[in-house]
Amino acid sequence: MPLKRTYLFLLGLILLSSFAVIQQNETINTFELLTTQTDFKVGTNIVLKFSISEVEQPLLYCSNSYGSTVISSTLKNNTLEYFIPENITKKIGVVNWKLLAKNESISGQFNINPKAEIATLETYIGPPSIEAGGTDYTMLVVIPTDSLDNPVPTNTLVKAKHQFLASEETNDIYTKNLISWRNMYSKKESGRMLVSSESLGINSKEFTINVMPAIPTDFKISASRPHDYADGNQITSFTTSIIKDKQNNVISDGTFVTFFITNSEGNILKTTGTTIDGVATSKMIHPDYKDTWNIKAYVDGMAESDNISLNYKQVIEDFDVTFSDQNRTIIVGPLQSFMQQMIPDGLHVKLKIYQNEKLINTITKTSFNGYVNFKLKPAIYNNGTYNFSIETAGLSKEFKSKELW
Amino acid sequence: MVGLNKNILRSILIASYIMIVALIISGVSALFSYLNTGADRSTMLHTEIQKVEQYLPKIDWEPLQNEGRSMDNQTLNALQSNYLDAWYVKQIAYKTNKPAGIKDYYTDSARENLYRFIELNKAEDITIEATTLKHNPTLEFFSEDGQMAVITDRNVIEYKRVFKAENVILETTETSNYKMVFLLEDGFWRIRHLVKEQAETYDAKTEPISVDNLNIKGINYYPQANPWNMFGDEFSADTISKDFKIIKDAGLNSVRLFVQYEDFGKEYVNPKKLEKLKETLDLAEAHNLKVVLTLFDFYGDYSVMSWTLNQRHAETIVEAVKDHSALLAWDIKNEPNLDFESRQKAVVIAWLDNMIDLVKSVDSIHPVTIGWSNTQSASILKDKVDFISFHYYEDLEHLDDAIKTMKTEIPNKPLVLQEFGISSYSGFWKPLGSSDEDQANYHKKIQEQIAANNLQFMSWTLYDFTDVPTDVVGSRPWRRNTQKHFGFIDKNGAKKASFKYISN
Repeated sequence: MPLKRTYLFLLGLILLSSFAVIQQNETINTFELLTTQTDFKVGTNIVLKFSISEVEQPLLYCSNSYGSTVISSTLKNNTLEYFIPENITKKIGVVNWKLLAKNESISGQFNINPKAEIATLETYIGPPSIEAGGTDYTMLVVIPTDSLDNPVPTNTLVKAKHQFLASEETNDIYTKNLISWRNMYSKKESGRMLVSSESLGINSKEFTINVMPAIPTDFKISASRPHDYADGNQITSFTTSIIKDKQNNVISDGTFVTFFITNSEGNILKTTGTTIDGVATSKMIHPDYKDTWNIKAYVDGMAESDNISLNYKQVIEDFDVTFSDQNRTIIVGPLQSFMQQMIPDGLHVKLKIYQNEKLINTITKTSFNGYVNFKLKPAIYNNGTYNFSIETAGLSKEFKSKELW
Repeated sequence: MVGLNKNILRSILIASYIMIVALIISGVSALFSYLNTGADRSTMLHTEIQKVEQYLPKIDWEPLQNEGRSMDNQTLNALQSNYLDAWYVKQIAYKTNKPAGIKDYYTDSARENLYRFIELNKAEDITIEATTLKHNPTLEFFSEDGQMAVITDRNVIEYKRVFKAENVILETTETSNYKMVFLLEDGFWRIRHLVKEQAETYDAKTEPISVDNLNIKGINYYPQANPWNMFGDEFSADTISKDFKIIKDAGLNSVRLFVQYEDFGKEYVNPKKLEKLKETLDLAEAHNLKVVLTLFDFYGDYSVMSWTLNQRHAETIVEAVKDHSALLAWDIKNEPNLDFESRQKAVVIAWLDNMIDLVKSVDSIHPVTIGWSNTQSASILKDKVDFISFHYYEDLEHLDDAIKTMKTEIPNKPLVLQEFGISSYSGFWKPLGSSDEDQANYHKKIQEQIAANNLQFMSWTLYDFTDVPTDVVGSRPWRRNTQKHFGFIDKNGAKKASFKYISN
């Protein structure tokens, strides 16, 4: 008996459900989609077919990633055919459509799927130069696209290849979010890294990354000079050792090195140079009086050198001063250097003129052929008593109560 | 004869000479003045380039958890701004079928796809007016050199009106997911790839808001000294407070106030105006009055391209006062049916429909209505609004019938007679106008009808005004003068005969 009831119940259910179906058929429509395929390969022709029971030929609205349009149909054997235009079939993504019939409209969507085929590997790499040492990196981004300029399916294999010195590496990366990417780390050495990528047999072009040396480490300096006399004429050259980064790479050419020279009075002289092959040189003219220099070089904010010290010997031990022409002509000299030779032209001699314990003028001249002449014009220096002091090569002589007339 | 001829010849010669000289002088002077005019010198440095916002859909970024380089705010803002501009130029392009601006926001190969659509639509005479109302972008990837980004924008709400041969053939709202690759080129973030990954028809589901306790006995309020400019420089809390006391003492329980679109700063709402609005609500609360707030007063452009700007305006105001306990309801727009002719009925209704969704998405507590100017329009969007508001300035004899019709059309929502009244003006411009006594009789009669039909009401208005801006009823004096005399209280502050019937 229970079996019979179950039968009856099932029969009843079937009867009911068939009613439901019939009712649905009544409320829906005169149009019916015949195309069952909802996934298409990009670039293929797509035709949406509808069966009709009326004469109406409604328009079909459809919309893809880039835009929307409305297409009209062709009627063929009681079937409406909508040819989806090429600008839609050639781009991947979802296409949603709606039949714009007068009474009811049916709508739906289909997918246009990417091809597993690659035409170009759009490759972006940056930054173009990175630092040696294994911590800095550049990023390779590859967007594989098919011949219709669509991104390829997710999880397409892309091989990221790079060569650096002796090593050549290939890494597998996979597309995700339309792109694939990988960080390429530097090694200890500086140099050039060549990068390329490959996917499904298509290769990108070659890209070059400069692996620049890291920041300099501390270095040494040395000085060379023709002699150690303070003649104010010869030149001392300062040279750094080969400056390297912590991985022992020679630092980049053109690194700016500043030499600070502190003399015995605490004044600072500064000279600069840029490196070539890790070495920077710079020059400074000798002092014209006995002095001691302490020199230290810096690559600003990054590295510094050791301290070196240089002594310069006095060349002029003493000099003569003669007054003539009513004391209005003062001749300083001969000024003689370390071998008693006349000092080279250009030594500074300073004459200070005092009247009534007051400095009234300072005249500086440079030597010529070992002598310096001062002429005190009567129009400027009236007749009277003056004190003079003469300074050169770190020496000073005073002459009191000289009468000019 | 000869002498006469010579004289004629002479005078012709002299006249033509004078004319030629005059022509040359005027030509030279025209040239001279042309050379002297031109751009203002101060514009030479381009110091005053100001960004004008054209497109401000709601945009909510997912928290940044992107691959690659970490994103900074400045770049993200630039990216967002260019992304929205990309949408904007696309909408304009498809509206006009002209490619202007596309090349700034789409790369060489991506723009081709848009050009092809424009070509196709142009050939088929199809135009599309569209806007996006909401974006939820996620930053998926930002490259180490800062030149590339990938964004997934989920649930983008797109509203479209499709025209063929200038006839609307489709109005649709869709929600879609887009994935796109951006490249930084020439200082622009340009779209390189754009893929729609999902699309559905969108149907905003707004919950109806309970109006069981709604019992409006109110009045439309403007201060006497500065009607239609309530929140301007002459804003006076004392005046409003006094007026609210009069309203409360008269036995009313609510007021209807107006927020003017441009006056409040359009898409960027002026915080000072908001402060004044809040102050007014505080005063209403102090006098135990509720407030029906009418948005978008004096606004008349419903074009799809300015929806996003309108929505930012509404969003800011609703967000600011939605928690105020004096607030009773939102009136989306005053008498929008008056714009049906000039702005197309369908456009206005679509605008209202979407604006209701927006207001309800921000404030899910306060009911929403639309202040229709007549009883015929009252059933438009009847399923979207929570109660029906209509205005009635016609003959009272037909009121009962009109209400009956409305009640059969809209059986399940309360009806609020949101504006009614009669001017007591009769004078030079309108010799056969009504008197104070007529006005009193009118209010007595209509209050009886309101009571009989169980309506809720808000009358127009508390005061007679001394000045009515021309924006309100135009500049014709018989209209302006009529509009000045709708009050229950006259210019001098004395209660008119009608005041007795201000409430029932």
